[in-house]
Amino acid sequence: MPEATATGVPTTAVASAPAPVRSRARRPGARAEALAAYGFLTPSYVLLGIFVLLPLAGALLVSLQRTDGFGTGEFVGLANYSRLLGDALFWRSLGNTVLFTAIVTPASMLLGLLIAVLLNTALPARGIFRSLIILPMAVSGVATGLIGVLVFDQNSGILNRLLGTVGIDPITWQSDAVPAFVTIVVATVWWRTGFTMLIYLAGLQGIGPDLYEAARLDGANAVQRFRNVTVPLLGPTTFFLGVLNVIYSFQVFDIVFVLTGGGPAGATSVLVTYAYETGFVTRDQGYAAAIGFVLLLFAMMFAAAQWRASRTREVTE
Amino acid sequence: MSLTIPSRRGFLLGLGAVAVPVVLAGCGFTQQSSPSGRTDTLTFTTWGTDAELAGFRAAIAAFEEANPGSTVELNAVPYEQMFTNIDAQLQAGNPPDIFRVPYYTFGAYAGRGQLLDLSPHLTSGRQDAFTPQAWAAVQNGEGTYGLPHHTDTSAILVNRDLMTAAGVTEIPERIEDAWTWEELAAIGDRLKAGLPAGTSPWAYNWQGNGVTRWLSLLFQADGAFLDADQVTPLIDSDAGRAAVEFSSSFFSSGYVPANNTIASSSYASESWFSQSVAMVWSGAFQLPDAQDTASFDWTATYAPRGVRGGGDFGGNALVATADTAQPELAAAFLEFVTDADPMRDFCRAASLLPTRGDLLNDDLEFDVRSELAPIFAAQAGVVQAQDVAQVASPSMSAIIPVLKEQLDLAFAGSQDAATTVANLSSGIAAATGA
Repeated sequence: MPEATATGVPTTAVASAPAPVRSRARRPGARAEALAAYGFLTPSYVLLGIFVLLPLAGALLVSLQRTDGFGTGEFVGLANYSRLLGDALFWRSLGNTVLFTAIVTPASMLLGLLIAVLLNTALPARGIFRSLIILPMAVSGVATGLIGVLVFDQNSGILNRLLGTVGIDPITWQSDAVPAFVTIVVATVWWRTGFTMLIYLAGLQGIGPDLYEAARLDGANAVQRFRNVTVPLLGPTTFFLGVLNVIYSFQVFDIVFVLTGGGPAGATSVLVTYAYETGFVTRDQGYAAAIGFVLLLFAMMFAAAQWRASRTREVTE
Repeated sequence: MSLTIPSRRGFLLGLGAVAVPVVLAGCGFTQQSSPSGRTDTLTFTTWGTDAELAGFRAAIAAFEEANPGSTVELNAVPYEQMFTNIDAQLQAGNPPDIFRVPYYTFGAYAGRGQLLDLSPHLTSGRQDAFTPQAWAAVQNGEGTYGLPHHTDTSAILVNRDLMTAAGVTEIPERIEDAWTWEELAAIGDRLKAGLPAGTSPWAYNWQGNGVTRWLSLLFQADGAFLDADQVTPLIDSDAGRAAVEFSSSFFSSGYVPANNTIASSSYASESWFSQSVAMVWSGAFQLPDAQDTASFDWTATYAPRGVRGGGDFGGNALVATADTAQPELAAAFLEFVTDADPMRDFCRAASLLPTRGDLLNDDLEFDVRSELAPIFAAQAGVVQAQDVAQVASPSMSAIIPVLKEQLDLAFAGSQDAATTVANLSSGIAAATGA
């Protein structure tokens, strides 16, 4: 007599039947639970739909039009996108954005990691130092840009005056391309290091001291412990910060807008400042929407990378 | 009557039912009662300094007193968000009845059917009250789409201490004696030789949308950037090249600090206040700040002249939106605010120039450094109507980025004058659809 399973299907029948369809018994109350879950999710989906998906669809429609925002736009298909291909300022802005991302992301993460490691040790006044590093997080991007102007103004800025006191000629922070680019990088790294440090600090505190103890007993010195214990175990944190920083860097706007305005001669123009100028100053809103969609494309690529990697990249002790 | 206590579930459902409309209303998804729909109430959106807002409030109070039952709701917003807000409201069909607009932005609204044509609503002879330049700034096609409220044009603020230290003591005191371009360059050379290290002769106020102030140099060269049809570019000319060459020489000759570019995040006035430059191109609106802030002996003189005198026509008009429910009342308010007394009071307190011919004379007074008011008034007098009409072009919002890009390349990138005006010409043609 074959033994009946919980589903009521005899085990022998399961063994001999070709590819049986498994059907799970519905727990009593499961339907109500599912309904409740959908009920809880519905407000989020409604808000997501209204405030994200609907505007996104609207922006896609706008990107297919030639419009200044007033009246009905003229449908031009993919003309705005093909126009991007021949737009030198767009490519320069894209290049600047990629360069900015390539410098700012590793720089802020490396600094954040080093400071986090330092402040994770027994250090006098550790709390004060942590607070000081985190403090820029409390400052808005616009305020950071304004602080940057006070520092980097090449006539009356603090930095050139300090350099002057030690006999160094003033640096052309605002009128030459490379120094101007350096100003936005430095201001952003200063602003963002506190955040990366905070996340790394949380990651470091999740690593058990027994691992370091074991490594020490095995004869590993400080550098080897950092390289072979700390860095691998911070892998998920590093990956999370990497993706977050890349997406953020592609969206940089406020610091550049306030600090350099995209100048001199487009040297610090990035995708979002270019889209802003195009949409709100030139009022070429269809073209600005197309620039925005290119930006969205990059953000989605990195988000997809994060999603795929987060499924497999779970490093634990 | 019995009172029942609702169950937890009932309470949450009830709370949700109450909260959803409130949240949606807050987000603009439900139609709030439109102020413009209320009888005899106008909504008026503007930005402004404290003095300007006080002037508007005084004018509104006087208007409400003169028109019992009518009210004007003033909505003061920061300049930075003024036009993104207005654009969004126009696109959403919920704009204010009246708003304030710079002349260089006016055309973008008037040319796209967003403003009320005031012509049928104005009292006869209204045009005669204004200077021809000011009247030209609010025309579009055959209509009058606003009333010019005040103007502002750049003269030069002078740091007497620095000038004297560099040996320059003679400063033009009559518009006829304004420095020619050649004389200005000679003054620049003398200042360069006599000023302390790290100090430049002058700074020009063309940052951001102030790029339209570069057009003063074009007009001084007797040039134009648009033909009378406001479509055909005219900037690829001897006058255009001369204006680009002269302004580029500010950088190549070291007359201005290297960061006095169009894209600079530092305004020219900051360099003057910090005594990094001896002179700065500036509107009269800067006088109260200078009075409070400048710790040196200072005065004002006229902008230079090339082939002719010329200046930028800054300032703002007041306009009514096309779909206002009360066009007659809106026009009446605009007329009231631009009557002689309210305009005089507003301009005197805010150090701005009136647009009425009867006020723009030797009797012009400012609350601060009033002895300098005639200098700015005379400077405004050399602005010509055809110059103003170009700045009020419907395509100006698309022309401004072209000016910014190409002049920035000429100043910071050393692009030559011929290439610059050729690129300006093709860029302007693309902007106007020529």
